[in-house]
Amino acid sequence: MRRNFLGLLGKAWLALILVFLYAPILVMAAMSFNASPFYQLPFEFSGAWYQDMMANEQIFTAAARSVLIAAATTVLATAFGTSASIALFRYDFRGKRILQVLLFPPIAIPWLITGTAMLIFFFTIGIGRGTPAVLIGHVALALPYVIVTVSARLSSFDITLEEAARSMGASSWTVLRRVTLPWIAPGIVAGGLFAFAVSFDQFVVSYFLSKPGDTTLPVLIYTSIRKGFTPEINAVSTIIIVLSMAVMFLAARYSRFGGER
Amino acid sequence: MAEALLPTERRRLVSLLSPAYLWLLVAVFLPLSAMLFFSFLTGLPQDDPDWGVTLANYGKFFQNPTYPALLWKSLKLGLWVTGFCILIGYPCALVLAKSIKGRAREALFLMVILPFWSNSLVRIFSWAIVLRGNGVLERTLNFLLPFDVRLNLMFTREAVVIGLVHSYLPYVILTSYLALQAIDDDLIDAARSMGASKLTILRRLLLPLSLPGLLAGAVLVFVPVVGSFMEPRILGGRLGTYYGTVIEDQFVAVYNWPLGAALSFILLAVVLLILALTSPVLKRART
Amino acid sequence: MKNGILLISFLALGTAGACADEIRVLNWQGYGTDLKWSVEAFEEATGHTVVHEYFNSEQEMLTKLRTNPGAYDVVMINAIFNGQAVDEDLIAAIDTSKLENYAGIPQTFAADPKLVHDGSVYGVPWTWGLTSFAYNTQSYDKAPTSIEALWDSERKGRIAIRDDAVEAVQFGALASGQDINDIQDLDAVREKLAALMPLLRTFWSSENDWNQFMAAGELDIATFWSGSASRSAAQGLPVEFVVPEEGAIGWLDSLTIPSSSEHKEAAAQFIDWMIDPEFYVKWNAEGAPASANAEAAAALPEDAFNRKVLGDPAVAARIQFQDPISDEDRARYLELWQGLKAAQ
Repeated sequence: MRRNFLGLLGKAWLALILVFLYAPILVMAAMSFNASPFYQLPFEFSGAWYQDMMANEQIFTAAARSVLIAAATTVLATAFGTSASIALFRYDFRGKRILQVLLFPPIAIPWLITGTAMLIFFFTIGIGRGTPAVLIGHVALALPYVIVTVSARLSSFDITLEEAARSMGASSWTVLRRVTLPWIAPGIVAGGLFAFAVSFDQFVVSYFLSKPGDTTLPVLIYTSIRKGFTPEINAVSTIIIVLSMAVMFLAARYSRFGGER
Repeated sequence: MAEALLPTERRRLVSLLSPAYLWLLVAVFLPLSAMLFFSFLTGLPQDDPDWGVTLANYGKFFQNPTYPALLWKSLKLGLWVTGFCILIGYPCALVLAKSIKGRAREALFLMVILPFWSNSLVRIFSWAIVLRGNGVLERTLNFLLPFDVRLNLMFTREAVVIGLVHSYLPYVILTSYLALQAIDDDLIDAARSMGASKLTILRRLLLPLSLPGLLAGAVLVFVPVVGSFMEPRILGGRLGTYYGTVIEDQFVAVYNWPLGAALSFILLAVVLLILALTSPVLKRART
Repeated sequence: MKNGILLISFLALGTAGACADEIRVLNWQGYGTDLKWSVEAFEEATGHTVVHEYFNSEQEMLTKLRTNPGAYDVVMINAIFNGQAVDEDLIAAIDTSKLENYAGIPQTFAADPKLVHDGSVYGVPWTWGLTSFAYNTQSYDKAPTSIEALWDSERKGRIAIRDDAVEAVQFGALASGQDINDIQDLDAVREKLAALMPLLRTFWSSENDWNQFMAAGELDIATFWSGSASRSAAQGLPVEFVVPEEGAIGWLDSLTIPSSSEHKEAAAQFIDWMIDPEFYVKWNAEGAPASANAEAAAALPEDAFNRKVLGDPAVAARIQFQDPISDEDRARYLELWQGLKAAQ
């Protein structure tokens, strides 16, 4: 009886937090259907912002470009970050602490400063601007998040499992594929989700490093605040959230990355 | 494991580490070293031919009481936000990892991170609509409650904390979840069969074993929050001046990269110092 | 005769088709150059295509210009930054004889020393306007006429100013009866602003903020830009812009061509298009700052704010146009402003 009560309390807490997490998202979505361009209340229904958005090619191409860059960032940062985390976990070597500490500057120093530094540096060494430069920047900013997340998961990994598998004659590749990776899979998924979020919200780097005309959605949003953006932005954000929800639920339906044991 | 590595292991180590760290080197460390160099200059080489080396930019931090005061204010903000994220997020992770099973858990896991994928600026403006006078929150409360409520939350320190907690909560939930979920349920059952109370299990078993995850989350919250400027500026209004905003001003309002860079590296140094000072304490707490 | 016209237009089309360029414009987003109907008409008329990139602050605009040679063909630069851009060789002299509409720009703007260096024109005066304040017409019975309206303690918590050091300091200078370009008594400015701080609801940082706060009824009165005020009014907000007795801050925006541009001719065509009265009258209907082209201003309807108020000589006499600000002064203003904000 007492157990049930606690479990119920826990679930209520989780539900409450979900309400907190989704409150502004719901408001964002509601405002995309609100007639007032200034987000005025009371609410008055209108589909006009969606019509405007449909007619606005720029928003669409920017959103599509953002998704592509974020997807590429996720793949690269997750792959490189996971391998680095495994190395940091498995081996002891001189300079390991330094490598771990080096993950913090990109998180601690405001993106504006890092972005400016990248712009100057890329300009000097001739990488220049364009989508490759943007991708280089995004992956670099996402890497620390992936490494920290995957390392957190690895810290509860029992290294003797690897040793046991190896002693039974498994090659190190097999050990990695059959023992280590399945164990840290939830960490990799979480790291990938963070990487996507970092890239998808990254404005400064894209702003400095993309070619004129090749804007991304965050850049479009940030540069429009001075002169005022319209609920079109809410409309496109709502569509993105709904689409990602659909993709995520499909993923949850057909895979088992939550770490079920 | 601490002995010298075999050549094959060394090769493997290098091949595992180098993609990530070479990438970081080119895209972050080298550019930031250039910024570090700028922070010791009197002017930028590209537009001041008589540039020289100086410590004056760092000196300004100590001469002008505004900077240390704001850094302190930002550190306190970081602590508040991190504290709330832990208090709110850890129980969530616990429920998610230990009392929800099957597909529902995977779906919820994803639902926690989904809000994170929306644009942060749009999210902050949505909070403004929720919190402002006669906004969504007040209207909802007045609709539900029989008496009149005036919260006046917008443009307060509370509003900044709410906005930041919302932005960073998923880090704590997910990293704690990853660590908690890794704890074998048999271990908990064994403890329970030996008569351990729920509180004891949490304090002696779950908390220590999941501490690395919780800490990773806390660090991912604390570190960026100390340098944040967008949320404080929009939600804090008159009270929204923090250390991050004065750094931003050196790049946006005036063209003073050396000072802006110096202020950023002081921030970095202080943050690293705090992490270094707290990590032994926390390590001891773990064992 | 008819054949002649045909021939000319044919030639024009031919040349336009022969050198169809892509011109890249760097400006604030939503600030005139990127109006969809105008860009489409320009592309149709000339064959060039127009691509936009935006900046979020003047310092970022300069950084972009410095680090992206060849990337831009037309850049909108506030006249007070024009000299700096010339000194750094970022922008080129413009042959104004190629601009048909340049003749309409009066000498006061065309000969402005901020834009003309060593006898050459480096910036085409495009728009100008005022930084002053606007009030919510629903919360005032009588329009305020003095800058002191911002210091009205009765309206504590319903006042806002922009989070910008230079603007705040210049407001303080106006309110303490000083020349905004030659502030002698900075302490008086600090005192004046310190008295304002506790009355403020918030700092606004963008036009978007401003409109939302005003629309939500959180503000009675706030500093604002004249062009933005007419935009807000055009969109249905009950606001009116005030040019107080003490004066207002005037600014001039210019269109320039970067020295590294590879499409200078097309860029000049675009600038000519932008100062065309026909374009301006249409833009003004949606809410625009004042045009620097006198012919454009004269073409406005008589009751338009940009003609009726800003065209009034009595108002013009109260405007203090901004001069360039030295880096040292900028740093001093910023320090003063940050000190005041941090004390809150």
